[in-house]
Amino acid sequence: MSLKKRGYFFVFDSLLGLMIIIIGIVLINSFYVKVRPPAQATLLSDDLLNFLSTKKIKDINNAYAGIGGVLWSQGHITNADNTLLQQAGELYKKKKYSVAEQFILNVSDGTVPTQYRYEVWMDNTLMYPRNPDAAHISSKSATRLLVVSRKITFGIMNATTAETFGPYKSEVYIWEK
Amino acid sequence: MGKIKMNKKGIFFTFIAITMMIVFIILFTQQPDLSLTRNSNGVLVRISSIDDYIDDLEKSYLKTALQTSSYKAIFSLIEYEKGGAYLADFNESFFEVASNGTIEDPYGSGIHVLIDTITGKKIMENSTMENWTKSISDTASSTFNINTTIKINNITALQSNPWEIDITLDANITVASNVAKWKKRSMIQTSIPIEGLSDPYFLVNTNGAYDNKIKKSSVIFNQWNISKAREHLRNGTYVHWQNSQAPSFIMRFTNSINPSECCGIESLVNPNKLAIPDNIESYTDYLFWTSAYSSRCIELYNITYPGGNPPYTGGLWDEFQYFKMDFDSLVRYNISQDSQNDALRTC
Repeated sequence: MSLKKRGYFFVFDSLLGLMIIIIGIVLINSFYVKVRPPAQATLLSDDLLNFLSTKKIKDINNAYAGIGGVLWSQGHITNADNTLLQQAGELYKKKKYSVAEQFILNVSDGTVPTQYRYEVWMDNTLMYPRNPDAAHISSKSATRLLVVSRKITFGIMNATTAETFGPYKSEVYIWEK
Repeated sequence: MGKIKMNKKGIFFTFIAITMMIVFIILFTQQPDLSLTRNSNGVLVRISSIDDYIDDLEKSYLKTALQTSSYKAIFSLIEYEKGGAYLADFNESFFEVASNGTIEDPYGSGIHVLIDTITGKKIMENSTMENWTKSISDTASSTFNINTTIKINNITALQSNPWEIDITLDANITVASNVAKWKKRSMIQTSIPIEGLSDPYFLVNTNGAYDNKIKKSSVIFNQWNISKAREHLRNGTYVHWQNSQAPSFIMRFTNSINPSECCGIESLVNPNKLAIPDNIESYTDYLFWTSAYSSRCIELYNITYPGGNPPYTGGLWDEFQYFKMDFDSLVRYNISQDSQNDALRTC
């Protein structure tokens, strides 16, 4: 009788040990799983940069930045064949930083989900937002995953004189709030 | 009895231990696989981003650079010809100016100097293909941490239509990163419009005094008449005729006044802009300065009213006195010598 009881005890002990090991393994594995995959932020970052570098002024229907829009009528935009990123580069070359900020804000509005924050840089100069608020700065410094996409921006500013802008390093940073 | 039971328990524990071993082996043998996949993904992303860069380099950056350098090179060569000298070989000079901004000194024997020093204008400064390729390489290095080497083999300029110059860049591109190296020979093409550029043929023949800018006439071939010809002459516009006998824009840099069927363009010489307005010549530009009719006065027509007394009511002499044309030009511009009395034999 006493021998049988000892047997159960050992079986129970081994099962308990096995359970502890399994829980330990599950916990260890969960560390890998809990790390947020960078795919979504990377996609967003690449998507935004691709959108800016492929869509032209003439392609967008935007009352502020499109053909016949506010910036067009004010003479800040003159070339409908410029991509949005080239236009930002041209405004950077002309040192029209606040116009560039409003331009980027308008054309990128709605392209990035609200739970993310983003920045657009041109040649190591922050173009959007020009003056980030405290929440923006702290969010960026606190984020565990900050994704950056890069491209080069280069274009012709004046076809008659062949005046150019760039090549500039263009960067889009995206992170979750 | 008790001994037998103990042996059975031992087997049970052994079984558990083996099972645990298997579990551990499976778990730990997965780790290298995951690590390898992660590394592969990293390399793939890096290669993909550099692939995109090379694609942009060919389709966008070099194309823009080529367009800018070529346009400025053409502009510089026009300025150069204001000095009154034709180029010996257009493509050779164009390649040299577009790639590094130099040209053979017209006053030196075989010495090559910066074209900007001859023209006195900083047109090619920081705008040659060598400048641009260095600038793009530097930016790519700071953006993607890669080394880009672009070796320019040749830049050619040809015309396949009257109003544009087709430019082709032949270059070897090498891009080296920490994961891979790309090597390719690339042919990049672009075209630049000639409208707005000065006609070098007018400049050389007048030592820069008569600057006629290329502007395409909007008149359709079967709508020409004396009033359209007047506008054409007044505005200095250019026309391309089918089976043209005129030289192309590029041919005008080297005084190659031969027919260019595809791309020949012609304008009319305004006698009011000449130092000596009255010449025994057809005032169609390429015929005027080749003196094609200087000894054939009988084949020329004054485009004026036959009555000859001002104020003129026909022809063009009320505004462009001494303007003359050969018979073929009269036919092309639909200027009648009889019914409308706009043209009268010169001799």
